[in-house]
Amino acid sequence: MTASSILPVDAQPMRTLTLAMAVMCYLATLALGGLMLVEAAVTQWTSGMTSEVTVQLRASSGTDLRAETDKALAILLAAPGVLAAHRIDRADALKLLEPWLGHTSALEELPLPSLIAVAVDRARPPDLAALERLLLAKVQGVSIDTHARWQSQLIRTASTLRHLSLSILALIALSATALVIFATRSVLDANRGVIEILHLVGAHDGFIARAVKGRFLRSGFLAGLLGTIGGIATFAILGLIGAPAGSSTLAEASTELLLAAPSVALATYAVFLLVPVCATLLSLVTAHLAVMRQLRGA
Amino acid sequence: MVRFENVGLRYGIGPEILKDVTFTLGRGSFSFLTGPSGAGKSSLLKLLFLALRPSRGLINLFGRDIASLRHAELPGLRRRIGVVFQDFKLLDHLSAYDNVALPLRAAGIRPESYRSNVKELLDWVGLIGQADMFPPVLSGGEKQRVAIARAVVAKPELLLADEPTGNVDPSLATRLLHLFQELNRFGTTVLIATHDPHLIAGGTLPVLRLEKGHLN
Repeated sequence: MTASSILPVDAQPMRTLTLAMAVMCYLATLALGGLMLVEAAVTQWTSGMTSEVTVQLRASSGTDLRAETDKALAILLAAPGVLAAHRIDRADALKLLEPWLGHTSALEELPLPSLIAVAVDRARPPDLAALERLLLAKVQGVSIDTHARWQSQLIRTASTLRHLSLSILALIALSATALVIFATRSVLDANRGVIEILHLVGAHDGFIARAVKGRFLRSGFLAGLLGTIGGIATFAILGLIGAPAGSSTLAEASTELLLAAPSVALATYAVFLLVPVCATLLSLVTAHLAVMRQLRGA
Repeated sequence: MVRFENVGLRYGIGPEILKDVTFTLGRGSFSFLTGPSGAGKSSLLKLLFLALRPSRGLINLFGRDIASLRHAELPGLRRRIGVVFQDFKLLDHLSAYDNVALPLRAAGIRPESYRSNVKELLDWVGLIGQADMFPPVLSGGEKQRVAIARAVVAKPELLLADEPTGNVDPSLATRLLHLFQELNRFGTTVLIATHDPHLIAGGTLPVLRLEKGHLN
């Protein structure tokens, strides 16, 4: 006779609970995966941005734009923390405008500022404020774009998405807790007579709680496992069906998530494995507390 | 061991089922509780095995005032009491063996240390062949014997039995009475609720008689 066999739990409510918990765990896996995708994308984008700065020189009457650009290049290359600086020629600058303005001959006549791409040392970045002051003092019509505005917008968006994912995870945990409490009460109500007999033969509340917990332990673990496998399968399917679509797609990001370098993939799977562990713990602790509370009130 | 002083019991706002019940059961005593149906015998037993609290009066059990007992203290006290219920109260999903072993299991005793005792007891009540059978397939008399075996398996200090011979033939009733007497000889206090005149027929044992909630 096992501990859980003391209570004759009807299989149907437990199956329904396992199914509902599995859906919760599936959603939790998707939310976790989404959170990791956002984190990875933000890290990738911001690392590109922080290693590059663009210096722009606007043409104005009476200014030799080429001479001013050479002056700016010299200052930049002499600055500590600058790894490289090169002029972006007109053809390349026009290519940058094409996504917004299209390919048209009118572009040829468009007056363009002179652009300098500057690669900075991320380990020892230059003092960009001091560099900007120096450039403004020595070069006419110059400005530095450190991408700080884009970066802060991106970080704000990522932060919103992160909070959204965490809120979804919290709501899922709350719903799962309510489900387990409801199921625990159903089990106790269905076994009122058995519990009365157990009390009369001298069983402690903890003994009865252990008998109930055994059922919820199995249910929580199974639901966690099923939900997590479903979630991982969803990311794998997303990766597979969208693989030829090219770069920067959700499909590619999903593939990256699951089949990245072993260290990254292992970390991903470790995070996903938290879902069944948390589901089991949540089921166990909630069922225990719900049983003890109900029995003490009985 | 058991002391009732002016105990009254009513269910909800209904009439008093027990009125000013006062008696004592000494350690190692053997008594009968009798009276017509509806006199309050089962309610009195429920007070004794702590399934109910009195509406008024004092109940002292094993030297403890039960009004001052905390919820967590109830199991410890109940383990000192064996009860044979009139409706048996067996768990239908457990075998006869597991039903008998239930109080030991609830007390946290390891199965290997009580297995032989439980089998011996089942043998004594003539049910060793039915050890693996479940209550729904046992006869009334067999269920009665499983219930008695469960009540005595933990060698309780106080044994309460509600109509323990109601479903068995006279020869088995006598055997069961001998079992209770044997337990009593080893120090167990026994109180048997019955309205079977043959069981009380000896006439030497004290009889508590309940009538309309009053104890005579």
